[in-house]
Amino acid sequence: MLVAREVHRHFEGMHAVDGVSIDVLPGRITGLIGPNGAGKSTLLAVLAGTLPATSGTIVFEGRDITHLPAYKRARLGLVRTFQLPSEFARLTVIENLMVAAPRHKGESLHGALLGKRYWGEDEERLVTEARGLLARFGMTAKESDYAGDMSGGQKRLIEIMRALMLHPRLLLLDEPMSGVHPSVIGEIASYLEALRDEGLTICMVEHELHMVDRLCDPVVVMAQGRVIGRGSMGALRQQREVVDAYLVG
Amino acid sequence: MNFYITTVLVYAGVDIIACLALNLQFGVSGIVNFSFIVFQAAGAYTAAVLSMPPSADMSGEQIYVLGLQLPFPIPWIGAALVGGLLAIPVGLVVLRRLRSDYQAIAMLVLSVIATTVITNARPFLNGAAGLSSVPQPLSENLNPLSASYGYLYVAITLVCCLLVLFVSYRIVNSPFGRTLRAMRDNELAATSLGKNPVALKMTIFIVGGLIAGLSGGILVGFITTWAPSTWLYPETIILFAAVIVGGRGNNLGAILGALLVPVGFEEVTRLIPSHIGAFEPPVGLVPALEWVAIGLLIIGFLWFRPRGVLPEARHVFRGGPTEETHWVQSGRGS
Repeated sequence: MLVAREVHRHFEGMHAVDGVSIDVLPGRITGLIGPNGAGKSTLLAVLAGTLPATSGTIVFEGRDITHLPAYKRARLGLVRTFQLPSEFARLTVIENLMVAAPRHKGESLHGALLGKRYWGEDEERLVTEARGLLARFGMTAKESDYAGDMSGGQKRLIEIMRALMLHPRLLLLDEPMSGVHPSVIGEIASYLEALRDEGLTICMVEHELHMVDRLCDPVVVMAQGRVIGRGSMGALRQQREVVDAYLVG
Repeated sequence: MNFYITTVLVYAGVDIIACLALNLQFGVSGIVNFSFIVFQAAGAYTAAVLSMPPSADMSGEQIYVLGLQLPFPIPWIGAALVGGLLAIPVGLVVLRRLRSDYQAIAMLVLSVIATTVITNARPFLNGAAGLSSVPQPLSENLNPLSASYGYLYVAITLVCCLLVLFVSYRIVNSPFGRTLRAMRDNELAATSLGKNPVALKMTIFIVGGLIAGLSGGILVGFITTWAPSTWLYPETIILFAAVIVGGRGNNLGAILGALLVPVGFEEVTRLIPSHIGAFEPPVGLVPALEWVAIGLLIIGFLWFRPRGVLPEARHVFRGGPTEETHWVQSGRGS
């Protein structure tokens, strides 16, 4: 689904991503693990187009997207979430979802000026779709609350629901369990499993190794900007370099 | 008295139009346009040179370009168009690559440069002396000194206010407005959802420029003069204060802010006596204190009521839940 070859990302001499090649396979959750500063989030940002690659190629569903800006990649179905909560704080929860929807007739200046008669139907369809997602993720009651007032776990779910409104082909998740109450982590994992079972492809950076164990196959291990191992968690535990770099303890 | 009332009403109308435009740019979209007054000035100069006679007819008193003597409403339409056109190069330079804090600095610098250039390039728009005796709209048919003309001008200004309010309302309450607000809250996240931030910012920057240009056209048609001293960069700060006090992101807040800050301050300072007993304050003290008050007003509101008197409205959809329930036991930030 997504093939990255020899991807580099340098910051003024510092090699944050140093010649990484990975394949994200369709219908699976690919895990990206490694110690802090390994370059995982930078790689995710490069794949999503939030940061341009210094060199290398990225191909998504047969199309070279290396030089495509982030918003165009998102329109192709390559959607990311962020390590830190990135909700639209002064929009309500349902607005956070609806704003993500593509091809809304009222989203242009011309459409806006024509008024609700022009875009009202699209809006109603989106409200129904967003409410469906809110019900699925157990957040119906929060529909009209400001997203900025939600808890850490709820903000994570908003980000995932928001991404789903785009009907993504590949979801790039940057530490979706980070900063979340332990009681909610299992719930988020269940949602991700369900999405995978429905055929959604996910690539996920995560530090909660028991969740990586449960959800991800294959897993890619990074250290100092490079890939140092890949395979199932079981197999990775047998690789000495991986154990030394990350899995000790 | 009639003249005083019509003057206050026209100023209020112009400030309302300007604040609605700034609200679209700053309140809704998060663009800190510290050069807003330049777009109003561009509109004012355009309306002036489109309605004035050729410079050669002024016996060397004023030197300026164009002087086309075009009838109303062409100068006002031209004012709006030039405001919008000016937004294109400015937006392309400032909004494409710079982070929002640097955008604000660049806009401020642009405002200072624009004033300096116009002040010193006399053959262009008569330099520091500015333009005077700008023909008032419809003055060939009506007596501009009559009370009825004043009220007609108020009525035309009111029509423009309603038109701008209509446009602002449609934008703010549409999916387009929602996308702008999302971009304001988190540009990176909006980009990762397929939104093109440069296109969005450019669009609203041009719309704001058009409206600012129109406000300049209306103002110069009424006061009949326009010079660099009338559009120094602090004038933009007053409009920012109005939008912050009224309520960012709320059209009604922008209107309220326009009435409270630029109009209210101007009128209240008129009531200050020129001397208190034997004490006669130095010349320029009151205007200086006015600026101190504007600064304190901005700081005070940002500190104690950052969302303004009329905060941005919450957008609720029909059929949604009305009661709050707690989904997780953990508190915020869990």
